[in-house]
Amino acid sequence: MFTTHSRLDAVKPDPGMDAYWAGLDGGAFGDQLGYGYINPNTNQRLLTLGNSTSVSVSVSVSPKKRKGQSLQVVSDKEKKIKGCSEGESRTTNQNSNSKEASTNTSSKEKSKVSEVQKPDYIHVRARRGQATDSHSLAERVRREKISERMKYLQDLVPGCNKITGKAGMLDEIINYVQSLQKQVEFLSMKLATVNPGLDFNVDNVFTKEIFQTSTSEFPALGCSSVDSAYYQLNSTDQVVSYCGLDMGINSAEMGLRRGISAPISVPETFMDSSCFNQIQPTANWDADLQNLYKMEFEQVTLIPFQSHQFTGSNEGSNMKTET
Amino acid sequence: MHTCTKLKSEFIKKWMKGLQICCSSKTNMDFLERKKKIKLCADIALASAKNSTTSWCIALISEAKKHDENKTLVDNLLGPELRIKPQKTNHQMSASHKRARSKKILKKSHHVCQRMKKMGPPKSNIATYITKILVKERTQVLKRLVPGGESMDEISLIKEALDYILSLKVQVDVMRTLANATEVLNQSDSTIFD
Repeated sequence: MFTTHSRLDAVKPDPGMDAYWAGLDGGAFGDQLGYGYINPNTNQRLLTLGNSTSVSVSVSVSPKKRKGQSLQVVSDKEKKIKGCSEGESRTTNQNSNSKEASTNTSSKEKSKVSEVQKPDYIHVRARRGQATDSHSLAERVRREKISERMKYLQDLVPGCNKITGKAGMLDEIINYVQSLQKQVEFLSMKLATVNPGLDFNVDNVFTKEIFQTSTSEFPALGCSSVDSAYYQLNSTDQVVSYCGLDMGINSAEMGLRRGISAPISVPETFMDSSCFNQIQPTANWDADLQNLYKMEFEQVTLIPFQSHQFTGSNEGSNMKTET
Repeated sequence: MHTCTKLKSEFIKKWMKGLQICCSSKTNMDFLERKKKIKLCADIALASAKNSTTSWCIALISEAKKHDENKTLVDNLLGPELRIKPQKTNHQMSASHKRARSKKILKKSHHVCQRMKKMGPPKSNIATYITKILVKERTQVLKRLVPGGESMDEISLIKEALDYILSLKVQVDVMRTLANATEVLNQSDSTIFD
């Protein structure tokens, strides 16, 4: 048994990443700082023996399955990690870790990588039952980097908490990026209709107000009369037909891609239904408008609901999960 | 989201500036042209407001510059320091292209060697085989979506996608509030005259 120090600051994280992550919700990562998220670039901690021996043993932090166990280790002894115990428990988990299964070879020896301490090297230790050549080690490092980044993305993209596989995560990311891009398209169209002369001079007046009262605007609008809702709907009539065509064409592509992929999550049903109606996209939108009219007369929620309707239920669910 | 409000105000300033430039050059644009101009200004304004060296920003701006008609607009929107950058990063992008290509060649040769040893996809691991194909396919799609994503390896692609998603969110937010605000204004104007 030997105690080791862990060098959590062995590799310097680049400042760009730090500033970037600081902008994200700090709460998600705050309690994990001691764990290994200090270095988003590399998720290895370097362990050095107290003696003068040149053996450096590093522990690579792998996702999820061993998370609970490693957290315990860190919390028990602040920065001293018992390399042996961790090594043993690591091996027991090895066989159940299906992610590493693909690089299994017939070799079953532990190998120690003895290297000189250099801050820009990534020290990786080959696990038991793993291939020991540099290619697969590099592969593993790469894979772990990717999975770590995926975790950050999970916090960013709404509705991704339940999906753990790489393929599913990528699918969600793609859908989210596509929906955001389409929203930008639609909003620029809307702005083009609302403002025939491209003159937004009034903005200088309330540029600040927009950001301060962006949330408070919506309840204020909720009090306005039904006639105003009617007016707004009329102004967006012409927008609707363009939107319908766009959606029809684009959702055909998505339908094709979807045919290969896994079962679809709820927000995408909107896109899929319009895929089947692509022959008459305007008719579909007209039906939606009819429903909208009815809703408007019943409820008094206005613009936010309207934009939800057109930008897809994706947006609606996004709002729900974010708030 | 205090960092976001700063970005938002930067973005909206640049966007308005760009639109004013557009306005002065042409008059009586039809609907689609207007929409294109709005979107273009918004994209460029966002990319320049970010003021960072992420490659999607640079790719967006350099793509916009390719069309001559946009060139003056882009140059006016960007600060003087950003004008020089695209030239440098063309080198960067070609270098990363080469790097990506050489990596691909290395990988392929390695895979071929491995495949010679193991014959065909293992029947027991057909699930992993399928997921590999899916992942490959989806990364291709993501590369097409994120601007400048063609010449990136997977790790930096995800990082870029993260950044891109954040700024797209900002863009959508600002545009939506602007659209709503102008609608309210129009509506209040019409009620005054009635």
